[in-house]
Amino acid sequence: MRSTRLQALRGKLREFWTVYKRDRAALAGLAIFLVILMVAIFADFIAPYNPYERVGRPYERPSWKHLLGTNDIGQDIFSEVIYGTRASLLIGFLAAITGTAIGTVVGLVSGYYGSKLDELLMRAVDMWLSIPTLLFAIFLVAVIIRAGGIPMFYSVILAIALTSWPPVARLVRSATLSIKERPYIESAVALGASSTRIMFRHILPNVAPIVLVEVVVRTAIAMLTESSLSFLGLGDPTVKSWGTVLHFAMIKNALILGLWWWFLPPGLMIAVTVMSVMMVGRGLEIYFNPRLRRY
Amino acid sequence: MLRHFLLSRLLRMLVVFFIIVLLNFLLPRAMPGDPASILANEYNLPVETVRILRSMWKLDRPLHEQFVAYIESLFTGQWGYSYKYFPRAVYELVMERLPWTLLLQGTTSLTVSTVGMLLGVLAGWRRGTRADVSITVSAILVYAVPYYWLALMLQYAFGYVLRIFPVAHAVTPGAVHASFLEYAADVLWHLALPVLAVTLTAYASYTLMTRNSMVDVLEEDFIFVARAKGLPERIVMKHAVRNALLPPLTMLAIRLGHIVGGAVITETVFSYPGVGYLIYESIIYKDYPVLNAAFFMLAITVIAANFAADLLYAAVDPRIRYVRRG
Repeated sequence: MRSTRLQALRGKLREFWTVYKRDRAALAGLAIFLVILMVAIFADFIAPYNPYERVGRPYERPSWKHLLGTNDIGQDIFSEVIYGTRASLLIGFLAAITGTAIGTVVGLVSGYYGSKLDELLMRAVDMWLSIPTLLFAIFLVAVIIRAGGIPMFYSVILAIALTSWPPVARLVRSATLSIKERPYIESAVALGASSTRIMFRHILPNVAPIVLVEVVVRTAIAMLTESSLSFLGLGDPTVKSWGTVLHFAMIKNALILGLWWWFLPPGLMIAVTVMSVMMVGRGLEIYFNPRLRRY
Repeated sequence: MLRHFLLSRLLRMLVVFFIIVLLNFLLPRAMPGDPASILANEYNLPVETVRILRSMWKLDRPLHEQFVAYIESLFTGQWGYSYKYFPRAVYELVMERLPWTLLLQGTTSLTVSTVGMLLGVLAGWRRGTRADVSITVSAILVYAVPYYWLALMLQYAFGYVLRIFPVAHAVTPGAVHASFLEYAADVLWHLALPVLAVTLTAYASYTLMTRNSMVDVLEEDFIFVARAKGLPERIVMKHAVRNALLPPLTMLAIRLGHIVGGAVITETVFSYPGVGYLIYESIIYKDYPVLNAAFFMLAITVIAANFAADLLYAAVDPRIRYVRRG
């Protein structure tokens, strides 16, 4: 029994890989993302210095000692960018997971129960979506810090998560609406399964592909939001993400002084990472939605 | 049916409006630090002055009294005084900044949607060709670039290295313009980089949406029939475009609702004297009255734009029927 299930899984994976590798963009995205992930995981070994320590004179130009020079207080910029990978990926991923989880639950509940509750939740989604994301995130960070006494780091994650759930809720809801009409759900109801069990045990596995794609796409978007927040100086100033590095590059006049090695690499890293994550998301979507495979 | 639809939308608008006013009142007050203590730190004010400030701004009153005062002030146009630019009235500050935001956002909305839709139509019409692939891929690339970073790059290239365009302000500070034409030229010159930056990053979503919508429309029966009738391709394209532009046009209407709030980063990076920069400053300085006013306007524009999007859809898409639900 167990081995057949394992075999089925292996077959599924093989099938997935056959489809996935056909899309060159998705393949390239995956390769780039894996490299970036390695950089994030092994930041301690790759970065030559501790990015939080002063290891040189301020405003040093790039050299073999400091590949991307040093910042205004003599920290190694190359090490900052390497460690920034970890912070940016981590914040983006955690925010995406949280936001998608909220959206999935709201979508399941809204789609499954329908009627008034559905109407109410969907109006909330409409309202939520009509507020500009970044502005909303800025407010939420401040509100969460005031209300909860949680560290800044998690406040930023929670704030981004809270701005990102509505589209997920919409997608999951519409999938739930069609799935709940299927005969096997009717059988489950007839057998006396509870609503919670039906939602999470019988409907959730069927919307899992949507949820998975959303986690990936949301990660990319959350990374962008985090970087904007940090760039404006409204993120956690003690965590070195790419946005934070850019924030200090801007306020310490890197632009006027022409220190391109300070403000160019972090932005490039954000762009490349976000792009690779989006391409992976697209690859997954093509696998799960065969209609997209046509050309 | 249409009347029923409009009435229900209006009712919903009012509800949303009330909720936003309530949030608008509560959110700034939930932010850390109260303005009196912030001013005290900023200007080294004596304790007695801080106490007077608190009572003047009703910060020492219970929340519900503050709320009543807030509602009253909304409808009498008394938006209070800025904490940061103290002797100045909020209304005056906002009205002074608003034209700049309208100019910047109006221009970018136009450029972004035009460029975005044109490229999208082209890509969708030639789906699968090299033109389509390059347009789509570059749109995805652009989508991943953080907007503010691209703005920084443009500032560096055109402002600091080439010195063609100014990197900050809406007009040359301290300049005396001989004529209106000269003034207008100065304004346009300052507008160049912000508009370029926004256009380069924001067109992508319009392009992708228009392309996908174009591809969908081209598969519909009426296009097949049009081709079977032997209509020239130019006419077929016209049929397709008219239908394919509905989603991006709706997106444009909704974008217009973000005029006040969407400008925060642009205006901050370019020190552009609009409402967005004002919002940024007021967040940094906990300038509650200004924040309140800005968000009040944000609420109005967002709600109005969503309503406009609904109307637009009703006007241009005959397939939509307004039936009573449930």
